[in-house]
Amino acid sequence: MTAVERIAADTADRPARERLTPRRILPWLLSAVIGVLCVVPFLLVIAISFGRKIEGAAWVWDFTLENYERFFVGALWPDEVTFLYLQQLGFSFWYAVVASLLAVMTALPFTLLLTGLSRRAQAAWLAFILSSLSLSEVFIVMGWDILLSNNSGLPALFKSTGLTQWLKDVGWFQTLRDWGLASPRNVKFKTSQFATILTMSYLVWPYAVILLFPALSRLDRSQSEAARTMGAGGWTVARTVILPAIRLPLFGSTLLLFVFLLGTYVAVTVFAAPAQHTTAVAIYTNIRGANLNAPFGATQAVILLISAGVCLGLGHRLNRWAEAR
Amino acid sequence: MTKLNRRTLLKTGVAGFAASSVLGTPLIAQTRSLKIGSYGGYFEDSFKEFVYPAFTDATGIAVESVTQPNSTDWLVTMQQATAAGSVPADLSLYARDTLIKASRIGGLLKPLNLSAMPAAGNLDPYFVFESPEGALGVGAMSWFTAMVINPGEVEAPASWAEFWDSSIYEASLGLSRNYNSQFLDIVAATFFDGEATFKTDEGILALIEKAAEIKPNVALWWSAESQMEQSMKNGDVIGGQYYLDVANLMAADGFPIKPVFPKEGNPQDYGSWCLSSLSDKADEAAEFINFSSDPATQALMSRKIGTAPLLDQSKTDLTDEEFAFVSGTPSIRPAYEAYLDKETFIKESWDKMLAGA
Repeated sequence: MTAVERIAADTADRPARERLTPRRILPWLLSAVIGVLCVVPFLLVIAISFGRKIEGAAWVWDFTLENYERFFVGALWPDEVTFLYLQQLGFSFWYAVVASLLAVMTALPFTLLLTGLSRRAQAAWLAFILSSLSLSEVFIVMGWDILLSNNSGLPALFKSTGLTQWLKDVGWFQTLRDWGLASPRNVKFKTSQFATILTMSYLVWPYAVILLFPALSRLDRSQSEAARTMGAGGWTVARTVILPAIRLPLFGSTLLLFVFLLGTYVAVTVFAAPAQHTTAVAIYTNIRGANLNAPFGATQAVILLISAGVCLGLGHRLNRWAEAR
Repeated sequence: MTKLNRRTLLKTGVAGFAASSVLGTPLIAQTRSLKIGSYGGYFEDSFKEFVYPAFTDATGIAVESVTQPNSTDWLVTMQQATAAGSVPADLSLYARDTLIKASRIGGLLKPLNLSAMPAAGNLDPYFVFESPEGALGVGAMSWFTAMVINPGEVEAPASWAEFWDSSIYEASLGLSRNYNSQFLDIVAATFFDGEATFKTDEGILALIEKAAEIKPNVALWWSAESQMEQSMKNGDVIGGQYYLDVANLMAADGFPIKPVFPKEGNPQDYGSWCLSSLSDKADEAAEFINFSSDPATQALMSRKIGTAPLLDQSKTDLTDEEFAFVSGTPSIRPAYEAYLDKETFIKESWDKMLAGA
């Protein structure tokens, strides 16, 4: 074919290629929908984070880095420095790390036992766990709130069984008061890090089971049986055979739950004292309420997002490094 | 402001229903009408059931009720609507700090003709907001945030200062978490010179430092009203600050809560009627504000909505019992201007104090 013929053939082809068929339109349409629903709001948040707050009024569009500066050193810098917002970010990570680890660590033995059950029992358990996902965070927090309340929950049980009195008699009650887990009258579990982390790991526990289940059910049982016949104890088998085999899903689940928990709002507002509040709560108090400082709220959101991204990136790196070894 | 939020948050369902019923109302072929905004839910429903019909009977002016989410968010809505050239309501209900914000932003409110509303003269002058352009808001109703205690656990304190006593209140109080929810005004009235202390940064820091001393006694820093309600009912806290009318309602239902007016008093906040700068219903609005300022209407709102009247009890026909349900003396007036002028400074210093950072 000569060049001229090739060009002629191309031109002949072109109208056919440009015809608008549904198959051609669909990807563009989907991209547009994703763009409008995800990318535009996202860009808006980034744009607002550079806005400027007017004292005593609302905020205006602008391009200032003041909000980012405030996040790291406070609004009164350079006269005064505060790490309040970094502390809140720290608590976001602390709660998310501990609660996701706790959830995965407790879900692991449960799921392992689950895979050993009959198919019927497995299906029943999985259906039950899946259905518990329909409970919203608000419901779960409300439930734990009642369970930990003075007149209707655990403290009431402590009091009626005489446990509170016993704690007072042996002198441990004062220690609990020092830890903030008791008032002069009775033990109290709210507000505390204990209640916050407990509720957060409860919140993601069903996810942990569902994420681990496929990997654990595919586990080759003959390997652990072989190890056992060679004289390895239960703990040694778990440590040297099972755990290495499910290292990847274990790591992946923890990372996913961690990211999920970074934005927890209701559990932290209800169960954590203001001294241990997270960035998610701070974002809300800036954007809503009488303050109406959307730019600073947006800044905190962007920084939380970047930090989460960095964590995921590091996790990925770590994973690859472990694989390569 | 929190009060307004709570009205909305708690009764969002009702608010949604109320909003839909507004849309469903057929337009009445009347020559005179007025669109009035109020906080959706219990507030708006009570207005629609008791206040607006009485007004229409008295004046022949039909009222179209408009649902406001609260003050601050509504201000943003009205700001955008004014820029677009068409507003959803003639009269809006703004808390005082939002009203001041609106007057500072400028161009949103139309000065009211006070001579057309003689009954507004009944109100304490404090409730008529004057700016250089004229009167921008006339009080509609007010509410108190009161000291509350569990009468089964403690005696009623004579002063707010007793809440700082850890031998009684260690890890036992419920206070509001927001910097502008009037706890600082309580501190100022109890230990300092009241509103004057807010004039300087040093004064504000001294207030916050004093507030920090109560931290060991606070079991709950609440952000939603329902948190405090549950904690009082559950015995998680045995005292704190809470809304006077709701506390009285809870006490009437047999829950262990008692509102107290200590010697320093309790903070009083209020909402104002404000006319949109784009409204051409100034005359109708004046008639409505005149009606709303009437002692009989003020008493009606106290009985049906639980708000405090903006005039002396003697001018109304409220009994002592009815009056004590919604009001009391003395009242602490919040330092609105300072909260706005030094918004970021107060918020960050307050948050730092709470976080111990």
